Amino acid sequence: MSAANLSTSAPVTRQVVAETLREEASVWLFVVKTLIAFFLTGWIAMRLDLPAPSTAMLTTIIVANRQAGMVLAKSFYRALGTLAGATAAVGIVAAFPQQRDLFLLALSLWIGLCAGGATLYRNFKSYAFVLGGYTAAIVAIPVIENPPGVFDSATARISEVLLGLLVSGVVSDVVFPSRMRDVLRRTAREQFANFVAFVRDSTGGAIPRESMEKAHLRFVRTAVSLEDLRSSVIFEDAEARARSNHLRLFNQRFMAASTSFQSLHHLINRLKRARRDTAANLLIRLYAPLGDALDAPIEAGAAARVLLPRLAAARDTMRGNAGALRATLDDAQDLRDFDTGAALLLRFVDELHDYVDAAATLQTPRVIAGSAERVRFDRGNDFLGAGIATVRTTLTMLVLGAFWVESAWPMGSSAMLLATIFAGLFATTPNPTRVTWMVMLGYFSGMVAGFVCEFFVLTQLDGYGLLVVGVAPFLAVGLVMMMTQRFASHGLGWAMGFAYILALKNVQTYDPAHFINDAIAQVIGLGAAAVSFVVIPPAIGSAWLRRRQLARLRGQVALAAEAPLPGLRHRFESVNHDLVSQVVAQTEPGSADSRALIAWALAVHETGRALIELRHDMARRELPPTLRPYLEEALRTLSRFYEKPDAPGYLLARDAVATAIASVGEHDGVAHLLEHLHLVRMALLDGESVLAAYMPDAPLSKEIVHAS
Amino acid sequence: MPREIALGDALVPGLLVFFVLALLLLWLLDGLAGRFGLYRLVWHPPLFRLAVFVCVFGALALFLY
Repeated sequence: MSAANLSTSAPVTRQVVAETLREEASVWLFVVKTLIAFFLTGWIAMRLDLPAPSTAMLTTIIVANRQAGMVLAKSFYRALGTLAGATAAVGIVAAFPQQRDLFLLALSLWIGLCAGGATLYRNFKSYAFVLGGYTAAIVAIPVIENPPGVFDSATARISEVLLGLLVSGVVSDVVFPSRMRDVLRRTAREQFANFVAFVRDSTGGAIPRESMEKAHLRFVRTAVSLEDLRSSVIFEDAEARARSNHLRLFNQRFMAASTSFQSLHHLINRLKRARRDTAANLLIRLYAPLGDALDAPIEAGAAARVLLPRLAAARDTMRGNAGALRATLDDAQDLRDFDTGAALLLRFVDELHDYVDAAATLQTPRVIAGSAERVRFDRGNDFLGAGIATVRTTLTMLVLGAFWVESAWPMGSSAMLLATIFAGLFATTPNPTRVTWMVMLGYFSGMVAGFVCEFFVLTQLDGYGLLVVGVAPFLAVGLVMMMTQRFASHGLGWAMGFAYILALKNVQTYDPAHFINDAIAQVIGLGAAAVSFVVIPPAIGSAWLRRRQLARLRGQVALAAEAPLPGLRHRFESVNHDLVSQVVAQTEPGSADSRALIAWALAVHETGRALIELRHDMARRELPPTLRPYLEEALRTLSRFYEKPDAPGYLLARDAVATAIASVGEHDGVAHLLEHLHLVRMALLDGESVLAAYMPDAPLSKEIVHAS
Repeated sequence: MPREIALGDALVPGLLVFFVLALLLLWLLDGLAGRFGLYRLVWHPPLFRLAVFVCVFGALALFLY
């Protein structure tokens, strides 16, 4: 593995060697930590006389990870899943102790439901669901001949798993821990520095649409990855947990500010394209103080606090300038464009100020008393995808169960267990067929290694110390493979197959016939899981699901127009970001799908935010009864159009917005609504946006000019 | 105190129950320590946490033996 270690001394290559060594050191540290956890668990389990020490040992492999926070997070959810699964197993066995058909049906349904639930969550929460499913099988199937034994089986399983989790948690947290907190801190700092730098550099004026799209993608990614990191780090670090709410608020404000920022730049771009240069240039001039304010050296630690007073000053300057700049305009069109832009700009500055404020709070060394406003990161889930996963897993289980019942195969339980485990574990990966095949290959070679180890090495040895020496080299191969990019899945398969087939017990039995029968059953179980992925392909990554996700994304405009207002801003932003990042993760960058998605995402973001702001303003003050129906009509037609985009719907929406604008003009004291409506209107008329496909073919540049 | 605790008429090893209880207690203490920044005063927080857990679990286990 470390062939590079051999080449030494040459001063030119010293740095290369040092780098390689550092990388290698972290790999070997992982291997050593996992081995320590593995054998310590085995020793304790044997001392405590648990029935299956190998389960506890396998647990340490399943949760093994380089980062302590990941291990703890995965352990937490594994514990939850195991408890739920064991409870379900006791319930199912108690309900059908003598009806094997009903028993298998109930068990398959439970496993299927858990697999479906897993697709609704990200990260380790989904893992908890998977575990809930297969733990039930692990607890219930071995006692199928002896139903009263189910409770003992459940307690044994829980004790073993908790023991394994405890040991690997302690080992990974105490022995040279590698902290994820630092990654989180770095990500948050980078997000902040990048966004501030991007805003500062773009005060010069128009940004080309392409770099805008790229920036949007980047913002979405960082927002989602920050949320993912946060949800793991809170297990590792009590201080991070105390700041968790602040961090969420920070992320939400980031999303809000980046949306407003994009709307602003789309507006300026549109004005420039429509040759409304006067208004566009005035807006850019109004914008200039912001660039100066952000032009402070960003250092670690103090950065955010330094920016706050500067931003406040810039906001005051801009408020003051707005009047003077406005006075230089006389054309009604220009005035209206300028008002729309200035309102948007001020909204953006307010949001940027809030964002920087949240960053400053995060950077203070002490946790500030009085926790931050409670916000949630909502996810955009698809229940149909979950339904498919449920059906697939249930069917796989039923088919295997039927085969087991019909053939009276003594090893049927092994096959069924393995199929459950793998069908669940890989249901949420984008390409489960391939991953399952790779793991299967690794699993198979792991079992071959297990055969060699058990019958040629272990038979020669006596005592736990020698067992460690005999087993460690075989296991280390798999662990090292887990740490390489290419062979990660093979390695996981190897380590699991090896530990599972070895089935270390207090009194080890050496029975080659049983060993081989068991191995065949396990491979068949794995194969059944792989086949099930081929027969009922997972929805994740398919064009069908992408279309559904796109439809959901468009439906977000309806959410913005119709959902109850409290907390809507956060809900809209976070579901949007989650949906976009899901689809982005499943499409090739630069493909037609991905471009269409981003185009829609930009349109939805802009229009949705404007509608939410409009509704907030509508709710704030009493509206004249003659005006309200027009506004509501505009909201309604817009949401219908986005839900089901077509040319007639587009015309309806466009006319409804125009009517609303006209009727706002007829009333006094409601001018503040006009800005939002103009924004929506201009987004609708943008010839470069995705909506262009639904426009009547007449050139529309004139319409942008005479937009009311 | 009996070494096995009856939960709904089923005997569960007492240590297991206390183990879960100790974990919950540790979670609580850990949250408090993080909230008030007490881990800044400690050299190796995870080791300290482990020590606290051993104390808590040991103290609870004394009820059994």
